[in-house]
Amino acid sequence: MNDIPDAPELLAIARSTLLDKLLPRVPEELRYDALMIANAMAIAARENTAGDTAILAEVVRLAALLKEQCEPRAGAELRSARSDLNRRLAAHIRAGRFDDRDRTALLDHLAQTAAGELAVSNPRALEA
Amino acid sequence: MNLDAADTRARLESFLRAAAGADAVHIRHLYRLSGGAVQENWALDADMAGGTQPGPHQWVLRTDAAARVAASLGRSDEFHILQFAHAAGLHAPEPLWLCRDLAVTGREFFVMQRLPGIASGHRVTRDAALVPDRARLACELAENLARLHAIHPPQSKLSFLATMHARDNIAHYRQYLDQLADAHPALEWGLRWCEVHAPDREETTFIHRDYRTGNYLVHEGRLAGVLDWEFAAFGNPLEDVGWIFAKCWRFAGKALPAGGIAEPADFLVPYRLASGRTVTPEALVYWQVMAHVRWAIIALQQAQRHLSGVERSLELALTGRIVAELEYEIIALTR
Repeated sequence: MNDIPDAPELLAIARSTLLDKLLPRVPEELRYDALMIANAMAIAARENTAGDTAILAEVVRLAALLKEQCEPRAGAELRSARSDLNRRLAAHIRAGRFDDRDRTALLDHLAQTAAGELAVSNPRALEA
Repeated sequence: MNLDAADTRARLESFLRAAAGADAVHIRHLYRLSGGAVQENWALDADMAGGTQPGPHQWVLRTDAAARVAASLGRSDEFHILQFAHAAGLHAPEPLWLCRDLAVTGREFFVMQRLPGIASGHRVTRDAALVPDRARLACELAENLARLHAIHPPQSKLSFLATMHARDNIAHYRQYLDQLADAHPALEWGLRWCEVHAPDREETTFIHRDYRTGNYLVHEGRLAGVLDWEFAAFGNPLEDVGWIFAKCWRFAGKALPAGGIAEPADFLVPYRLASGRTVTPEALVYWQVMAHVRWAIIALQQAQRHLSGVERSLELALTGRIVAELEYEIIALTR
């Protein structure tokens, strides 16, 4: 076992080296690229830190919305279960089955899911 | 693609010489302008000898980036839209020459007049010195859009344009979502909401479909040009109003609904006076929801361009990660 410093720690120090040491010497026309690299590293680090917690919660909510049993899963199985549930939910939404009844529960779920993704991709958008 | 390679440059010079009927054309500078994941814009400074316009010129060469968005028009159609829009006095840059001969640069391109000013949405919404009178800029944008929306089909010069109303858009976006491996329930919700609330009757006018902060030029505080006509169509004029109001296009000016630069009335009042259309609060919300759905669909397409390997690009990859923000706004608007 030799995984210390871990992925978020490596990404954090790599990112601050990029921003503090390299960026001041990056030519103007490459500045935007450098900032995009820093942003990608920050997203990857937050995603790694978050792990499967948010996906697990999403799957539990999806199963409740679709009134299905929720089996405990992890890793690739968890992701595949999420894909299946989302596909079925999407079809129900399109067919109008959430227009009235369960509309509030659906919107709560969708807002929580988007907020969880935003916490990874752009936490500042949640502060606004 | 590097247009500035010596052999490409020489072919470009001979194309320009022939197109302009000049004795000689010398390219002084040719460099890629920032922005444009869908199209590439190159600044082209050239000296022309003889012909109708001898002397120094500042042009823009516009060509497809490798990653074209399916919904956008080709360069030839865009060239014809620019000819039409420029003649109609809609602040479009004057298009000069279209080249469909792939032997010149490897792709279709056209050359247009380079207008002065700054387009960057971040700068226009952040830097108060660029826009000393925001209400006046909003008014100019609204009046220009009203002129654009005064053009009704049929137009013989725009016969290639599609007509897209609310329900056509919904069907089109669903068709795209159905091609993807993963479902997107929040976008499905936005589309279902748009379907349930779709207007019974819709006007049909010429619409720009990308009329927003970041796509117009501001020079000395005034509207100096409208860019990126590649999505133009016939459709509901309110779609353009919802697009420029949508939160996703406000950049640093999130609290200013009209393009991140002004209050709603600064835009809607001059738009009403110039067009005769009153944009109801309900219609404004409706077309903002549609705007977020549409931008999310385009963002998914751009991410796919990267993932499929058609064009590997960090910018396209990161665009995929803005979808959650758009979904969040769709939910907030439809609660």
